[in-house]
Formats: sequence, structure tokens, C-alpha cells
Amino acid sequence: MSTDSPSSFGGDAVPAVPELPTLRESADYIRKLGKPSAAEVLESCRLAGRVALQPRCGVGGHKEMGALLAQLERDGRADILTLTIDSHTRLLRFDNAARALRADPRTLNGYPLVTHGWERGRELNESVAPPMEIRHGSPDARPLFQVAVASGITSFEGGGISYNLPYSKDVPLAHSLEAWAEVDSVCGELAGLGIIVDRELFGTLTAVLVRVDQPGGEHAGGGGRGRRGRALHLRLLPAERPAGAGRGRAAGHPAARRRYLPAGVQIHAVLHEFMGVFPRERNHAEELIFYGALTARLGGASKMITKTYQEALGIPDTEANVAGLRLADIANSELLGFVSVDSGAVAEELEWICREVAEIVEPVLEARNLRSGIVTAFAEGKLDIPFSASRHARSEITPLRDPSGAIRYQEHGGLPLSDASVKRNRRLLAEGRPGGPARPTCSRC
Amino acid sequence: MVVLGVAASDSHAVANHLIAHSLRAQGLTVVNLGTCTPVSEFADACELYPAAEAVIIGSLNGHIHEDLHDLADAKLQGRINCPVIVGGNLSVGSAKDESSTTRLYELGVDHVLAHPDSLVPLLDSLRAVGAPVTRELVDTTAR
Ligand code: B12
Repeated sequence: MSTDSPSSFGGDAVPAVPELPTLRESADYIRKLGKPSAAEVLESCRLAGRVALQPRCGVGGHKEMGALLAQLERDGRADILTLTIDSHTRLLRFDNAARALRADPRTLNGYPLVTHGWERGRELNESVAPPMEIRHGSPDARPLFQVAVASGITSFEGGGISYNLPYSKDVPLAHSLEAWAEVDSVCGELAGLGIIVDRELFGTLTAVLVRVDQPGGEHAGGGGRGRRGRALHLRLLPAERPAGAGRGRAAGHPAARRRYLPAGVQIHAVLHEFMGVFPRERNHAEELIFYGALTARLGGASKMITKTYQEALGIPDTEANVAGLRLADIANSELLGFVSVDSGAVAEELEWICREVAEIVEPVLEARNLRSGIVTAFAEGKLDIPFSASRHARSEITPLRDPSGAIRYQEHGGLPLSDASVKRNRRLLAEGRPGGPARPTCSRC
Repeated sequence: MVVLGVAASDSHAVANHLIAHSLRAQGLTVVNLGTCTPVSEFADACELYPAAEAVIIGSLNGHIHEDLHDLADAKLQGRINCPVIVGGNLSVGSAKDESSTTRLYELGVDHVLAHPDSLVPLLDSLRAVGAPVTRELVDTTAR
């Protein structure tokens, strides 16, 4: 097999991962290990009135990964820890991951779990008290998922849309949806063995906003960061439906997701601190980090994924990663209880977001075969994302911040939005701009 | 005409879109291969578009060296005959040094640029000296 064109993306062959324990053995191991699940940690944080903290973290070397996790647990006091997986592994380029690991592990931008193997995965898992999540970006995550389960790791991010379109160029959606359905059906089998896998969906998709006409450079977008997270999640995520396992966890606003999920599914909102281009200067970056953390608290998120003041430069060192966690935790302080949001404005915005979501996803959910309905909707631009890495979305939509900082559609491409929604987006983008209509004085999102 | 793309393991799309847009606005024909483009695909494009003046490769995820591990081969086989230009975030980690650039030259890259604004002036200067001319290859496989 050529290392450059993973043949498994074309057909259905799963690259074989050698010598894995059976699912039953893994389930027994997980039970014996007796660590709390991610869902249990989120629940106990909720009871304690705080947003759970989770860093991004992944380095190539095994020893170095262990040391990083230990320090993030001890000094960063992370509630949940991460194995961030390197880009080669995400794209099934295992030969490249192995060569880079042999040559110099520091040249990897994450931990190549499949290459290190499940025994080392267990070693890492046993070395820390908090539960661990695999965060990656694999259009076809089957091999990685097998190794994760064998490592006793029961929190696994991703899905057939959200880990395809931002993360690869030419993997057909039909393929990634099928591969992820297999992952979810294994989650179902594990549920039968008493192990609940926590499945998190990556909602920010391309994480990118256009702000060319925002005066004021890096700071211009500030006001709407939190809403940005929410708006993009909501507009784009519900197209994905967690299948299989008994428990889904979503990064969208619970109110909007709940409509499309069966009763009894436990839902948690996850906030990513700012996902766009970061300021290079430490104090500006830290303002942005704190702002994100405060938004998570005010928005009632169950957990937040943190960033660091080195975001603009490269993968952070341990010290910066710890500092990012500690800074975010300040937003959990009781002293900040006096900070509140305009709940009327939030309710109004939420209603409109739910309406836009319905306009976009309900036609797709009506399809007799949901998976082919999704593929067709993307091909026709009825589902879409901006700045797609993949050819399988048209990328005919352009998001833009309005003068208040909230995210709107500048171009909505082929999305089947109603006239009322389109008009509202246009109006809010125009208000307050030089030459545009005056902004109403009432406070609105 | 130029061939543009992002390195094989890298899916960052934004700089790529913006660079394509800006080169086109400056009158160049851009064959944009987009994200996640292995060397073999750049080589195929060079064969398909012999008029290409340069191959421009962006990388942000820090994996450029492994992603170009087979560039020297493609050049030795004559599959890529025009200059190869690389830019972006060229190593993993927040502390940067010159060694990442040196290693790129060893892999067969001809020009490493810090900023996309330098692309058009570089292409102009290459045209002036009658490019396509590539740097003499250091045959790393022979070592
Ligand atoms: C948005 C973003 C994402 C989005 C991308 C969305 C999309 N559709 O493109 C998402 C969330 C999907 C993403 C994913 C990942 N990302 Co990212 N991402 C970013 C972020 C925040 C902004 C990047 C961006 O869009 N920049 C906009 C462009 C226009 O600006 P720029 O990147 O600064 O580029 C400038 C120069 O580099 C140069 N340039 C760029 N390309 C080229 C090409 C040429 C030829 C030239 C001359 C110049 C040039 O010109 C630009 C303008 O000055 C950066 C951090 C940051 N900068 O704040 C991280 C960052 C680039 N990502 C990073 C990583 C590692 C990843 C992942 C691999 C996950 C991981 N392991 O953490 C995955 C990618 C998976 C893969 N297979 O590659 C790292 C790279 C680390 C490193 N080099 O040490 C960064 C720096 C974050 C960090 N600190 O860890 N990412």
C-alpha cells in the first residue's frame, strides 16, 4: 500500500490492528481499572457548580506523553485529560507516523496511539486519575477506536461529518459516515457489556470566520466569541445523530439538540475556547482565553476545552498548557457570581437559532435513508460549511460577525433558510455599519 | 501558472484559500490542489501542466518534513522540474529555530518564505533569470 494514498478510504477494508484483546477482555479491564467515566466527572462538576476543564495535549514520545499528562493533572488540575492524536494517524498514514516516531518523536504534533499500541495506551491510562478522551480528526477512525477501547479509554470524539469535512480532502462522506456508524455500533456492543462510551461531537467544524471588514484587527471579533461557538454548533451539528450507544453527548445548545434526540439521552454542552487565529502576544491571548472561559460558565457548559497563550505559535509547552488551565479555572470562581447576561436577549437569539436549525436540518431528517440524504444535501449545498478542507462540501457560505460581534450568514449559499431568517441575518449585519441603518437602542444579541 | 496546495497530512484550508485568491487577483493562473496533498499529487499536476512555473506548498500543522520525505525522489525522477516553494508553520512546537528551514533545503525545497506577500516578487525574480531552475539537489538518500 502506498503510504500516500490510504487505500482503505476507497473501499471498506479496515487496516488491521494486530493482536488486540477481545471486546469482552477490554470491558473487563475497564471495569477492573475502576476509573470514573467522563460522564460521571461532568456530573460531579455540575453538582459542584463548576465547568469541567480539559486541555488539548499530545506529544509524539511515550515517556514525554506520560510526563505531560502527569503535570497537567498535578499542576493544571484538569478534570478530564486528553490524548490528542497526530495528523498522520488521523489520516491512516501509519507508515509516516512510524517513521517520524523513529526519527524524532518531537516532530509529531500528537501522540500516535495506533503506532505505540494499546499496551502503552493502558500504561498512560493507569498513570493518571482523571478519565481520558481521544481527540483527533479521523474521517475513518476504526483502527484508532479499536486501540482506544483496548487501552481502556472510553471517551472518544468525532463523527462522520465533523471529522471528515475539516480534516481531509477527498474522503467521500458515504465512507466516513459508514466507518463512524461501525464505531457507534461497537459502542452499542460495549453498552451491552456494561461499558458506556462517551461520544463527543466536534461542532466547530472549520472554526473559521471571515472578519475582513471588521475594524480594529484582532480584537474586533471579541463580543461574539461565545455566541460564535454556539451558533456554529447549532447550525451545523444537528445533521449528525449519535447512534448506537445509549448516551450521546453533544456540543450544541441542549435546547436545540434535545428536539432531535430520543428521550433519556444525556446531553452536555462543551465550549471550545476561541478557535480562530489567535493573537501572538501573551496578554491579548490570555484575555481571549479568559473571555472564552467566562462564556462557558455563563452559557452553562458542562466542560470547556482550553487553549494556551502559545496558540498562535505552535503546540504549547507544558508550562503554557498548565497556565491555560489555571487561567480558565478562574472563571469558575464564586467571586464572579455577579456577572450575568441579558436573559431576554439570549432567549430571543436562541429562538432564532432553533428556527434556523429546523429550516436546515428538518428537510434532511425527512429523507428515507438518512445517510444518503446527508450525502445528497452536501452535494447540493443544502448542508454546507465555510472554508471546507474537503471537496465534499461546497463551501458556498460565508459567516461574518455583525457589529455586536455575533455571527451571521453573509452568504448562505444553498442552505434552505426562510426569507425571514435571511432577512434577519442581512439586517443585523447591516445595522450599525457606516452607511447602514441605525442600530436599535434596545439590547439584542 | 503555479501549482498550489497544502502538505499531505495537513488539512488547514484558510491560508490556502487566501493565497489562491490573492495570486489569482495578481493575474496568475493557479492550479489549487487544496489540503492534504501528497508529493505524488503535486508531481502528477506538474506533468499535467508543464507550463507551471513553481510548486507552492503550505503547511501549518508542523509535519512538513515528513510530508515532503519523498520530494527529492520526485525531483530526481524528473517528475517535478520547477522550483518548489514552501511556507507556513514549519515545525512542531512554540519555540522555532533555523534548523527546520535547513532541513527543508536538504529535502529538495528551493525556497522557504515567511510570508505569502513574498510569493509574487519571488516568482517575478525567477522569471527574470529564466526559471524554471531548481536548486542543485542534495541527494540525501546517498548519505
Ligand atoms: C483554525 C485552525 C484550525 C482549524 C482549521 C480550519 C480550516 N478549515 O482550515 C481546525 C480546528 C480544523 C484545526 C485543526 C488542526 N490544527 Co489547527 N489551527 C487553527 C488556527 C487557530 C488558525 C489557523 C488559520 O486558519 N490561520 C489563518 C492563516 C491565514 O494564517 P496563519 O495560519 O497564521 O498563516 C500565516 C503564515 O503561516 C503564512 N502561511 C501559511 N501558509 C503559507 C503558505 C505559503 C506558501 C507561504 C509563503 C506562507 C504561508 O501566511 C499566513 C499569513 O501570514 C491555528 C493557530 C493560530 N494561528 O492561531 C491552529 C494551528 C495551526 N493548528 C495546529 C494543529 C496542530 C492542528 C491539528 C493537527 C490538531 C492538533 N494536533 O492539535 C489539526 C489539523 C489536522 C491535520 N490533519 O492537519 C497547530 C500547529 C502546531 C505547530 N505547527 O506546532 C496550531 C498552530 C495551533 C497550536 N498552537 O497548536 N486547526
